[in-house]
Amino acid sequence: MPNPIDAAARATPDPLARRIRGLSDRTIAWLFVAPTIFLLLAINIFPLIWTVRLSFTNYRANRPNEEVEFVGLRNYIRILTDDGIWANMQTTAHFLFWTLFFQVLIGFTLAWLINRKFKGNDLLTTLIVLPMMLSPAVVGNFWTFLYQPQIGLVNYMVELLTGTPASSFSMLGPGGYAPWSIIIVDTWMWTPFVMLICLAGLRSIPDYIYEAAEIDRASKWRQFWTLTVPMVLPFLMLAVLFRGIENFKMFDMVVLLTGGGPGNETLLASIDLKREAFEKWRTGYSSAYAIILFVTVFGLASIYVKALNKVKER
Amino acid sequence: MTAYSITEPSGRSKLVAGLLVTLYTIVTLLPLVWIISTGFKSGPDSISYPPKVLFEPSLEGYVNLFTTRTRVAAEEFQNLPPPETWYDEIVRDQGMVIAGPSRFGERFLNSVIIGFGSTFLSIFLGTLAAYAFSRFKVPLKDDLLFFILSTRMMPPIAVAIPIYLMYRELGLSDTHLGMILLYTAVNISLAVWLLKGFIDEIPREYEEAALIDGYTRFQAFRKVVLPQAATGIASTAIFCLIFAWNEYAFAVLLTSGTAQTAPPFIPTIIGVGGQDWPAVAAGATIFLLPVMIFTILLRKHLLRGITFGAVRK
Amino acid sequence: MSGFVKGLLRLRRGPWEMLATFLIALGVFMLMQPFALALYTWSFLVTLAGTVMFIIVSHFPE
Repeated sequence: MPNPIDAAARATPDPLARRIRGLSDRTIAWLFVAPTIFLLLAINIFPLIWTVRLSFTNYRANRPNEEVEFVGLRNYIRILTDDGIWANMQTTAHFLFWTLFFQVLIGFTLAWLINRKFKGNDLLTTLIVLPMMLSPAVVGNFWTFLYQPQIGLVNYMVELLTGTPASSFSMLGPGGYAPWSIIIVDTWMWTPFVMLICLAGLRSIPDYIYEAAEIDRASKWRQFWTLTVPMVLPFLMLAVLFRGIENFKMFDMVVLLTGGGPGNETLLASIDLKREAFEKWRTGYSSAYAIILFVTVFGLASIYVKALNKVKER
Repeated sequence: MTAYSITEPSGRSKLVAGLLVTLYTIVTLLPLVWIISTGFKSGPDSISYPPKVLFEPSLEGYVNLFTTRTRVAAEEFQNLPPPETWYDEIVRDQGMVIAGPSRFGERFLNSVIIGFGSTFLSIFLGTLAAYAFSRFKVPLKDDLLFFILSTRMMPPIAVAIPIYLMYRELGLSDTHLGMILLYTAVNISLAVWLLKGFIDEIPREYEEAALIDGYTRFQAFRKVVLPQAATGIASTAIFCLIFAWNEYAFAVLLTSGTAQTAPPFIPTIIGVGGQDWPAVAAGATIFLLPVMIFTILLRKHLLRGITFGAVRK
Repeated sequence: MSGFVKGLLRLRRGPWEMLATFLIALGVFMLMQPFALALYTWSFLVTLAGTVMFIIVSHFPE
């Protein structure tokens, strides 16, 4: 290992370095952390506090000159007793549950197969990962083309495989398929995420544990349930929590696929919130709505960080 | 008893696993292949049924993506001088003439400016903060780190309302600077967490040796730590870039013209009677291809990036 | 179980964090369940309580 220290630099310290030579470690620490904290305070925390304040008023951003009234908890009470918003939460729950279900099922299976270390598994893993790195908006938009009832690839495939005429149903239109269409796209996009994390979990299990189990003559089935699953579980928790948080606030992909329609069939909470805030301009009301979503995400995020630290200790 | 490890999967199970995963890969790549191929189809080919797998390649989508076109009256069309360039010809074949360039170039450039600007800023600030968190006793360190991470989890729509109002007051709405600051704020959490992990891995002895040799803390940071962390910084930068590149919610809510990036623009590309699919696909291809290439470059660090550094390998 | 209660009484981090996690999970479930409007109405307070609790108890000793 060559000595990384450059002797010439020591002879001629640059002026900036000389100026801050006297700084203690503590000052440097603060100097280094402060810009980040300041930026986050200005662009995340200040707006958040502002949202809280707005949530107690009837302010409307499209009428800035109107008098603003303090309405206390009225916005919160209205939202939390509203049947329509409750229905949106259930739509969100349906989306959350099934995307997580399929992603865990397929993602874990894939990871388990890839962990057999067959030839070329690295290449296939890289290819499988591609969808999750792409822009959800651009990809979501393109999926509307694949879902076209007359000409789309998805309907054609269905006709080819089941014989149902392609023009007889519409994946994004009325007929009840739309909630499943968004689940399909999300699963397509994010299964690789769950797969990667499960794969890391599987690879963290040392071989000697299986060797010991083999000597004890534990069956493969038993090994799977008593060794593999418990060892991968913390990783799986991490993946599920992260995807759960992301899909709870899902906006871009679904807005471009269905825009919440047909009717209100795919109206997720965050899409509804966007309509209230930026189309109906009920700023105060939607601020309360935003706070409710935010607290939920923040709560889940605290659990996520705990899970994160647990995995880190492994 | 055989000589090889008993935990090594058998040849047959490897074969079955390989076949199943290959099958999944083919299915999952189909939509991407479809995007790329639709970009090279002519308008009628793109909407034919059954969908065409084999077709005569055409650059119509790409030409339409970069131009705006108008239809002219039949007799006027006859009297036009012959097309001068190959793209003129492609547009003429559709019975139209080129009216001017489209906005796609500008929007793409906006994506580049905002993407690189915010990445540079988040890496610059993130490296400093990560170094401090890694090496010094910062009071309330765990709380600060959690606070930084939690800002990443914030639903964009929840903060978009006051940011919209704030930017309106400050004159930052629909500006490059506004979007760069915003994306930096979102990306910095990832940058700090990832870079802290990378810097943690550099042995402290290197810096200590440098300090004994008369370096200041700052010099040691610049001349010893930074070069050692270069790979980590590069991969973190690519993650930040990809996020800023892909972001849609803030972009669609806070920009409409001058600073609009490509993701909100591509879905608005319309032709005659709805979206011009070859042009949309061409735009999507140009937009997605760099990310695909970066993903392949990043593959060793992917896991680390998507788990905030919790899973190293 | 008695260890859990003892941990709570002695203000140890582990059991309190578990309690907060449970409250958050319960709140999230109440928010999105399809069974009763009343549960939905009170979900926000439960999640908020759990989240605030989580922030406080994460400063308790291990």
